[in-house]
Amino acid sequence: MSRTDEVPSLWSGLDRKAMAVAEFTVRQQRKRLSTWVVLLVGIAAMGVLTMFYIDSMTRDYEAVDNDGDSYDWDMDGYPNGQERLYGTDLLDADSHPGLLSPPIPPDDASVWVNEDDFDWDALNEGSVGYDDNGDCNVEERTDSQKDRNGNGIPCDIQLDLNRYSGTYLISTDGNVDEDPDDEAYALEAIHRSFVLAIGKLGVVFLIGIFVPLFMATGLIRQEMTSGTMHFMLAKPIARGEVFLYRILGFLAIAWTYVTLLIVLLAIVTGLAGPSEGVFRFADLGVWLSVWLAALLAVMVYSMLFCMLGVLWKHGMVLALPIAAWELGMILTTLGAPDAAILRFSVIGWAMNIVDAGAALAWSDTPLLIQMGMWGGGNGPLEGAEALDIFASTPGLNLSALATVVISSLVMLGQAAACWLLGSTLFKGKEIE
Amino acid sequence: MIPDITQQGKPAQTAPQPSVPNAPVVYFQGVSKSYGRIHALSNITLGLTGGVTGILGMNGAGKSTLFKLLMGKLRPSAGEVKLFGTNPWKNPAPYAKVGFVPEHEKMHDWMTALDFVSTFARLHGMTRQEAEREAMRVLDFVGLADVAHKEIGRFSKGMRQRTKIAHALVNDPELIILDEPLQGCDPLARTTIMNVIRELGKLGRTVLVSSHILNEIERITEQIVILHHGKLVALGNLHAIRERLDQIPHTIRIVGEDARNMAKDILDHPAVFGLRFPNETELLIQTYHFGELHAELPRLIVENNHRVHLIDNPDDDLESLLNYLAGGSA
Repeated sequence: MSRTDEVPSLWSGLDRKAMAVAEFTVRQQRKRLSTWVVLLVGIAAMGVLTMFYIDSMTRDYEAVDNDGDSYDWDMDGYPNGQERLYGTDLLDADSHPGLLSPPIPPDDASVWVNEDDFDWDALNEGSVGYDDNGDCNVEERTDSQKDRNGNGIPCDIQLDLNRYSGTYLISTDGNVDEDPDDEAYALEAIHRSFVLAIGKLGVVFLIGIFVPLFMATGLIRQEMTSGTMHFMLAKPIARGEVFLYRILGFLAIAWTYVTLLIVLLAIVTGLAGPSEGVFRFADLGVWLSVWLAALLAVMVYSMLFCMLGVLWKHGMVLALPIAAWELGMILTTLGAPDAAILRFSVIGWAMNIVDAGAALAWSDTPLLIQMGMWGGGNGPLEGAEALDIFASTPGLNLSALATVVISSLVMLGQAAACWLLGSTLFKGKEIE
Repeated sequence: MIPDITQQGKPAQTAPQPSVPNAPVVYFQGVSKSYGRIHALSNITLGLTGGVTGILGMNGAGKSTLFKLLMGKLRPSAGEVKLFGTNPWKNPAPYAKVGFVPEHEKMHDWMTALDFVSTFARLHGMTRQEAEREAMRVLDFVGLADVAHKEIGRFSKGMRQRTKIAHALVNDPELIILDEPLQGCDPLARTTIMNVIRELGKLGRTVLVSSHILNEIERITEQIVILHHGKLVALGNLHAIRERLDQIPHTIRIVGEDARNMAKDILDHPAVFGLRFPNETELLIQTYHFGELHAELPRLIVENNHRVHLIDNPDDDLESLLNYLAGGSA
């Protein structure tokens, strides 16, 4: 006789009940039209948002002459930037590089647009930046003009991290990286904004709250109202188990759905987003954290709403103010991710997970935002403000990994609390 | 231990056993149940073990409430309910030995009969294979083996009732509770269900079956409990209360094609003392010997080639009986 034959029947008995109820729940939901309506509306909503994203990834972004050196003030055919480079008078049509010996042919104005892009991808404190077009280190300029930030290095940008706010102080020498590539910046910033926006607001919040709202609120209540709960409760199974296994069945559907949705979004944005190769693998870490946050949010909300359904036959009415509260909280996370009130929400913890994942996968986002906001010294570039809204630093002031672990544990705790409360309420319910 | 996902493993060896041996199967001690000022049950004391017991009472008499208290669906307002010696409100373990047929008509219409019975059988700790085997066994027992793979939504009322009974019998229970199992059934289903109940009685199971029709109960069992307005008004052998029953008139209603012709043949029967015709197709017979006449009626109808759609007892008839038993006058 093998060892497995002697295994006591407690676990396998539990396991059989769990599988039976969960499987029953899956099949029951599958037979309902409302299930398919809810799931398809979710996909349609995400699809529409994704179309806006595809549009913004495929359209052309006007290349802005951020520093104004493509103009030709004196109409001599030489753009200001070229005249400045050769030290001729910008305002005198009789002074231009064509009169030098040997004469310099005039540049097309477009040469002086986006001519000096950001050269500071690396997140380094100290000296970054490079004067691509050489209009900083020209003889006519004084040493103090060449080193306006006073760090002893001419023609660079000095970055200083503000450890309190997590942002960088940008101090520049003039004419360095002053005309960035608008399109490259916009694509990168809008791409990141979209991934964060649809991940946070779309999948984790909207899908995470509405799918449980419509599908989990009635898991126990509908059976109680219709009288079919009698068939299940006539069997030797505790009500707390019924509650838990019904949720498990629901999660089998909802988790699969959320996973598929995220995989689809990851593929579409990975292919459409700006990248050097065919696919942007750099985003996978963010999607992974969105996935984790969405699974946990769906679990907590389904336990919560199912519990409200047990509490009152119009549980939906109780669930709506909670959904409104969560909406308020997710908007709070965008502006103040470390607000203490977020501890009293589900979505605040879920956002911590996404923000931590984004901080790991795209560690340069804070710098990218500030580059865009600075925009070569001429105000924000397109996409910078959107990214500034949707990217937040994780709210716990811990390392990214610790944030993920702690937030996940808190959400598991929230789910367990809702289950316990729901089971207790269910046990006290008389069923007509 | 790895979860038995495919459910191929060994069957659970033992169902959880209630801890009290030799306790009565069903035990009510001074049980009352009220909803606000409405008293659904008042001060019921009752103990039952073995045999088939009919619970007779009109709609609203408290039959379903009694069963729901026993199944732990409701909590008694006062008194003590014991199922195999344990409190069913707190402990679902005794349900391992119980089968319950609720009165609710709503079922999971999207399931096949086999799915329905086997899915819930797995809550007894059976594996998938065991559950399907047992489900087929009980579906065969109630005469539904040939439609086991059809959806319940396409079943007739009688087939649905029999599916519910199969669901209750799948764990081979010691106690079977049937709440109005004959309601709305066609004659064939009625006969099948009655045979099933009698069969269970012969097997030594404790069976509780409720009805609001005396005739039905009479054909199933002689041991009855009569509830009226939430009170227990009679308990014991039907013959013992038969004498008292015979002192008040009963009405039998027959709906057929030609009520007047039918009346001619029935009027001769010694038990009949009055006839009325509310309309062309309906005949109301009054008798003091209800059981005797009810047994004779089918023969009288068949011998004289009458076409009959329905034979039943108007509810007001039972009400007068119950009022009488409860101590008032008929």
